[in-house]
Amino acid sequence: MGWLPWSSSSSSAADKKASDGGRIAPDRSSRAKCYEGRDLFFSCLDRNDILDGIKDDKEARRKCAKEVAQFEEACSQAWVKYFKEKRVMEFNRDKTIERIQKEDADKVQELKSKGWGASK
Amino acid sequence: MTLTTRAPGLFGQATRSLASTEPRILSLPRHHGPAQCRRAYTPAPRPQPRNAANPLLNSKNFSSSAFLGRDKTMGELKSRNRTGPFSWKAALLFVLTGAGMMVYFKIEKERLERKRIAEMSKGYGKPKVGGPFVLKDLNGNEFTQEDLKGKYSFVYFGFTHCPDICPDELDKMAEIIEKVKLETKDEKLFLPVFITCDPVRDTPEVLREYLKEFHPGIVGLTGTYEQVKNVCRQYRVYFSTPRDVKPGEDYLVDHSIYFYLMDPDNDFVECIGRQDTPESAAKVVLEHIKDWQREGKPLKTE
Repeated sequence: MGWLPWSSSSSSAADKKASDGGRIAPDRSSRAKCYEGRDLFFSCLDRNDILDGIKDDKEARRKCAKEVAQFEEACSQAWVKYFKEKRVMEFNRDKTIERIQKEDADKVQELKSKGWGASK
Repeated sequence: MTLTTRAPGLFGQATRSLASTEPRILSLPRHHGPAQCRRAYTPAPRPQPRNAANPLLNSKNFSSSAFLGRDKTMGELKSRNRTGPFSWKAALLFVLTGAGMMVYFKIEKERLERKRIAEMSKGYGKPKVGGPFVLKDLNGNEFTQEDLKGKYSFVYFGFTHCPDICPDELDKMAEIIEKVKLETKDEKLFLPVFITCDPVRDTPEVLREYLKEFHPGIVGLTGTYEQVKNVCRQYRVYFSTPRDVKPGEDYLVDHSIYFYLMDPDNDFVECIGRQDTPESAAKVVLEHIKDWQREGKPLKTE
């Protein structure tokens, strides 16, 4: 591959054509680069209490300008969008699981206090 | 007093050890009840000629007591109890037989369960997953469902521009391939296949470069838009690739993220999903391969 991992970017990767007309996808090292940019950006969002990088795009760009730039440099547009959406989705999923577990625990407590499952 | 009837040992040592608990029960007072229950057809306490000639031969055996009855006094029972019908040999035999049976039944049960899954997946005559398709391998040769036959194939759908799931799953696939190869000592018997859902971008050259990073043994397949759409339909893979994309346009493809394990008849066997580890997946694959070999069915090894 012609490009160096630290200089690879979405635009150069997207433009990269195979000789038979296909478009070459990011390889392992540029994927790693992209994941790294993503993690840096997301930890910045965490610090600033921002969940949705699409909805709160302006604020995210203002507070995490450097990280956004690096993230968008290292990943293609589609991936940037995908990871931002996934972050929200996973947050909601974890919230839901947490809520269900808490409800379960509360229910167990309630039943126990009513004498269910107590040993005879 | 005659307590109960005895027959000479018809079955030898093993029978004795199996019935060894009975004398203890019989030595209790008021034993008539249970004893009679057991031999409802035999008048229980009845006069019989005493015969203590060979107590060692006397074995517990209730079925033949009516024919060759011999008495046993309480004293004899007690002495028998002291030496006991137990010998370490008998005990060992008993334990080993029991353990052996347990292991055997466990293995058999698991095998039948896997067979049931495989049979169930075959449906009634027609496989529900998989079917005829025509694609191209990375050297430009035609590749059809016939090329999957004779081996256990492991089919995965994806695309090279996939952000994170496909690369993870392909790393897993590489580990599974290595594990299966190591166990079966035959790399030709298991055929891992990657079919792209994104034929516009994933040409043979692109696929080759991409798959090389994961495992050289993965067979990459691509084709025209229609051919890929067809194979996705055959494997019940959700297919959402946009048909007309402008050159350079950046997009993602939604697709199912299961591995499909297909048997040498090219019938669907099982799905391997995100929840499986390389270890658990390789175990499933190996078990099916071993079952297949045990049943003596043919496998292509080249």
